Amino acid sequence: MNSTATAAAPELPTKRDEAWRYAPHADLAQLTFGPGGASAAVPAELEAQIPVFDGPRIVVVNGIVDPARSELATSITGLTLSTVADVLTTEPESLTRHFPTDADPVDAFAAFNAQFGRDGAVIRVAAGATIDQPIHVVDLALPGAGHNTSSTGVVIEIGEGSEATIVETRLGHGTESGGANVRTTITLHDHATLEHIVVQDAPPAQISLSRVDVTQGANSTFRGRSFNLGASYGRVAHAVVLAGAGAHAELSGLYFGFGDQTLDQQVDIVHAAKDCSSRQLYRGVLDDSSTGIFSGGIDVQPGADGTDAEQENHNLLLSDRAEANTQPRLEILADDVACKHGATVGQLDETALYYMRSRGIPAAEARRLLINGFADQVVDHVSIDALRPWIIDRLGHADA
Amino acid sequence: MLHVKDLTAAIGDKQILKGLDLDVGAGEVHAIMGPNGSGKSTFAHTLAGREGYEITGTVTLDDADLLEMEPEARAAAGVFMGFQYPVEIPGVNNMYFLRTALNSVRRTRGETEVSAREFLSTAQEAMDLVEMPKDFLHRAVNAGFSGGEKKRNEILQMAVMQPRLAVLDETDSGLDIDALRIIAGGVNALRGPERSMIVITHYQRLLDYIKPDFVHVLVDGRIVESGDHTLALHLEDHGYADFVNHDLDASGRPLSGATS
Repeated sequence: MNSTATAAAPELPTKRDEAWRYAPHADLAQLTFGPGGASAAVPAELEAQIPVFDGPRIVVVNGIVDPARSELATSITGLTLSTVADVLTTEPESLTRHFPTDADPVDAFAAFNAQFGRDGAVIRVAAGATIDQPIHVVDLALPGAGHNTSSTGVVIEIGEGSEATIVETRLGHGTESGGANVRTTITLHDHATLEHIVVQDAPPAQISLSRVDVTQGANSTFRGRSFNLGASYGRVAHAVVLAGAGAHAELSGLYFGFGDQTLDQQVDIVHAAKDCSSRQLYRGVLDDSSTGIFSGGIDVQPGADGTDAEQENHNLLLSDRAEANTQPRLEILADDVACKHGATVGQLDETALYYMRSRGIPAAEARRLLINGFADQVVDHVSIDALRPWIIDRLGHADA
Repeated sequence: MLHVKDLTAAIGDKQILKGLDLDVGAGEVHAIMGPNGSGKSTFAHTLAGREGYEITGTVTLDDADLLEMEPEARAAAGVFMGFQYPVEIPGVNNMYFLRTALNSVRRTRGETEVSAREFLSTAQEAMDLVEMPKDFLHRAVNAGFSGGEKKRNEILQMAVMQPRLAVLDETDSGLDIDALRIIAGGVNALRGPERSMIVITHYQRLLDYIKPDFVHVLVDGRIVESGDHTLALHLEDHGYADFVNHDLDASGRPLSGATS
């Protein structure tokens, strides 16, 4: 460990930690952390990779908001955009959920993030507002001198009865090791609705760590989508607490691995109130010697009667060296609970390939159609028209 | 048009086709009948190009060597196979599938691709032909289709692809009488002087609707008898017993008296 931390460095997770069982621990030990520094120059080819759609955008470069690329001033009624650094100065008490003082971080990377992730985006939607345009948070990692891993914070608060769509895109540049460690804290007040999309496509030398903590009020709806595409180790962890009665969480994700990538999805949904429902639908496409992990938790707490929870994980292995690990974790401590889970691991259907080829579709195209047909069932969940083709284009990496 | 000479096909040690000869002229409809396990479906798949068989002999379509071609090249050369068990492809809708198929063969043939508008009118005609419901184009290929819908979809695809040679493998299996009528109507509408068909069936019933020019009896990997449509009626009355478990002469034909 080569951290610039002044306090005692937190202990890294090991293979014995269930949530980190398949992670490349030697590579994680190479990550170094420190406070966000001066903005690095963003190469044009990285800039060109950023998906473009209408709506305000906040760009974070190596953990620091880049004012030249961001539009914090917005005329959209009910929407306030600020930086974590500014809010830490003006009203730090409003960020206690993101920087808790009364609880230990869940793991070393959350601890590093809490320590060094002192800038990023704060998105607040006032009660009763419907934000029609998606808000885009772009996190760019350009490993350089000092430390190699950036730390970014994103804080989202959706007021009572409000609606919003937020996209977090994580990209990087360079062939050196390092990466990004992004932590997002989301609060949905009663009757609020949020579609929250994480798209991770870091370069192959980098590691991308994402953690999304969600707390939901009564009758709120959270639609979380994750597209875990790039990085040598790409991790997207969601921890959702259904704290108010009647809340609904719907998480879906696609991981699309090639080379020797490891793509890790860790989902924990806590049913802490009555009559809440949750859905998890994750799909993995794994080529070459890549590894996919889906670990899905459903935790039904005492008194959370009327819980309705479902979980599905489907994996498509494109190579005999690829690996899928799928693990449902169900803990049910309430009565009157409907829980369903299922997982599959399969290969491309040879008969379907032959069928398509017999209709004149060339083998490579037939293969691509079948793979995209499998993946589209998650991509179709994205409500932003301009983002779907961007995601589908990035899936083409597997054929490179 | 189609010439099949001394065709053999094996999977591993198992010899399935044992020297099959067949000539199909332009515009002709040939029925191939035979008991279970006689090699009917294998013959269809050797024409369409399924992998996994060891094949000898020759198969040419308009003088082009089919056996040298990948399945997609055979489709471009004009071969269409109607599957006995059409495959479900979740996540790929019929419109995209059909248009990709049509434009793929057109590209291979050096023809221009069809526009979205042209395609829709072609697809609509094909849908009308087999009475496919309106939402068909937006549904995934065969996913959740009933048995009858799947078979109708095969004929619909044939109408879109306009093949030179259609090989219909047990297109009648599992159909009720209404579906059989729709499918036979579709097939008959697609008959033409430049299009040949091989209709593989277990039962004579289909041939009441699609009247073949020739009927062949396939037994144990060989065609053991050929005739006109009355041969099918004979089979309906007598079954395949005449052709099975009998002695063959040196040329592989049943000894005299076997068909009487």
